[in-house]
Amino acid sequence: MREYEYHAPESFGRLFELASADGVESRFLAGGTDLTPRISAERNQIPRYKKPPLRILYLGALGLDSVTDAGEDVTIGALCTLSSLLENAVVKAKLPALHEALTEMAGVSIRNTATIGGNIMNASPAADSVPALLVLGTECTLRSASGERRVALAEFFTEPGKTVAKPGEVLVSVTVKAGRGGSSFKKLGRRKAETLSVVNAAAYVELRDGVCEAVRVAVGSAAPTVVRCADTERALVGRKIGEDSIRAASSLVEKAISPIDDIRASAWYRGRVAPTVVARAISAAAERKRG
Amino acid sequence: MSRILKFNLNGNPAEVKVGEADTLLEALREGLAFTSPKCGCNHGDCGACTVIVNGDAVKSCTVIALTAEGKNVWTVDGLAKGGKLHPVQKAFHEYGAPQCGYCTPGMVMAAVAFLNRHPSLSSLTEEEVKDALSGNLCRCGGYKKYAQAVIAAARGDFGPLPEQEGSGKNV
Ligand SMILES: Cc1cc2nc3c(=O)[nH]c(=O)nc-3n(C[C@H](O)[C@H](O)[C@H](O)COP(=O)(O)OP(=O)(O)OC[C@H]3O[C@@H](n4cnc5c(N)ncnc54)[C@H](O)[C@@H]3O)c2cc1C
Ligand code: FES
Ligand code: FES
Repeated sequence: MREYEYHAPESFGRLFELASADGVESRFLAGGTDLTPRISAERNQIPRYKKPPLRILYLGALGLDSVTDAGEDVTIGALCTLSSLLENAVVKAKLPALHEALTEMAGVSIRNTATIGGNIMNASPAADSVPALLVLGTECTLRSASGERRVALAEFFTEPGKTVAKPGEVLVSVTVKAGRGGSSFKKLGRRKAETLSVVNAAAYVELRDGVCEAVRVAVGSAAPTVVRCADTERALVGRKIGEDSIRAASSLVEKAISPIDDIRASAWYRGRVAPTVVARAISAAAERKRG
Repeated sequence: MSRILKFNLNGNPAEVKVGEADTLLEALREGLAFTSPKCGCNHGDCGACTVIVNGDAVKSCTVIALTAEGKNVWTVDGLAKGGKLHPVQKAFHEYGAPQCGYCTPGMVMAAVAFLNRHPSLSSLTEEEVKDALSGNLCRCGGYKKYAQAVIAAARGDFGPLPEQEGSGKNV
């Protein structure tokens, strides 16, 4: 069987030293809700070829679990659990789409350990925090032995399970814009709780006298990564926001998505429901701005 | 390689030899022979392995054991005090909620953590209870009675909810 090592470094210096060692594969561990079952499954299999030892680097001792409110934007530590963010008053007041996404994610006992950084770095096209963060405008801060860099979330994902982060680079935080508009997140799952999205969507809308001045729309679980819906957005800017304009614009999501068949739903079904989920997110975001 | 994990289990200091990639569920079941948490799926989906860590319900199959170093872990074994069942256990028993019983220890821990954290038990709703137990699957389909029993326990039908260690409140 493969060998496993566990470390819980308390400094970045030690973390990067451990992560850069030769002859081992390193993996960062946050809450473990995605990673631990994967490791357990691997341990239950008879290996087909010899793999190098897996070095598990637990990030929980680095103090990356705070939320900082800087007025215009909010910086969220990568190790914040979904439960702690759900209870966070700043997130609720300033980042409604993210708050709403958190209410729809997994169930209490997963939210208690799962982290926001893990949800992003796992890079699933169905990750529920991602459409919300994307429409709000989010930058990811990555840290490596050679320093920090910031990458826009819009440029962060390359394919399912893959991001622009290099091996050994840690996501330390995300910085999210509060914005003056309204935002919302909607999800369609196979059941109400503890389920991954069949399709999810988020929207951010700025209105003046009922006319849409700016809008960002994102849809998830319908393409290899979460995608922005440019045509939908273009169809709304400068228009009065109402049932008809939202329906017409939402039907254009088709152009942005390339759904597949999987265990949760068929490509056909995803294509049919995506406009509806997107329309719900846009109306709720617009409503939030009015109310 | 294996290491020694030191933590608190049901209010008592515990030490157990664990593999470095072992889950908390394995440490409890195989290392310490605490078999109340069940391994229903080993994938975070079913909730049969739910235990309380530092006051929060967590699925122990998703937790790498060594991350629990120094933490307070409670299983259903630690709830009964002086031969008396915890009100949630009594409620489940009286309502006949468990059928095969496989999901029951996880249901108990999810319910206890929920009640301990709830700010006002008198105004608790059925929706909230369902939400709290939504991560716990019951193949026998006994959801309704489990939910009713938790509401009854919250109401105090089975005695006051203990505030001491066993409740998980101070853990
Ligand atoms: C029953 C169940 C229900 C679920 N429901 C949902 C749901 O409704 N919506 C949803 O979106 N997800 C859901 N998930 C998936 C999962 O819980 C989330 O993706 C969670 O946020 C992952 O976070 P984690 O801290 O547990 O990550 P981990 O498992 O610790 O890590 C995930 C991956 O990210 C990497 N990683 C983690 N943190 C960092 C970091 N800071 N820097 C660099 N790399 C890092 C790890 O190496 C690993 O590859 C569910 C999972 C389960 C088991
Ligand atoms: S065994 Fe842990 S959730 Fe099923
Ligand atoms: S009582 Fe049988 S699984 Fe719940």
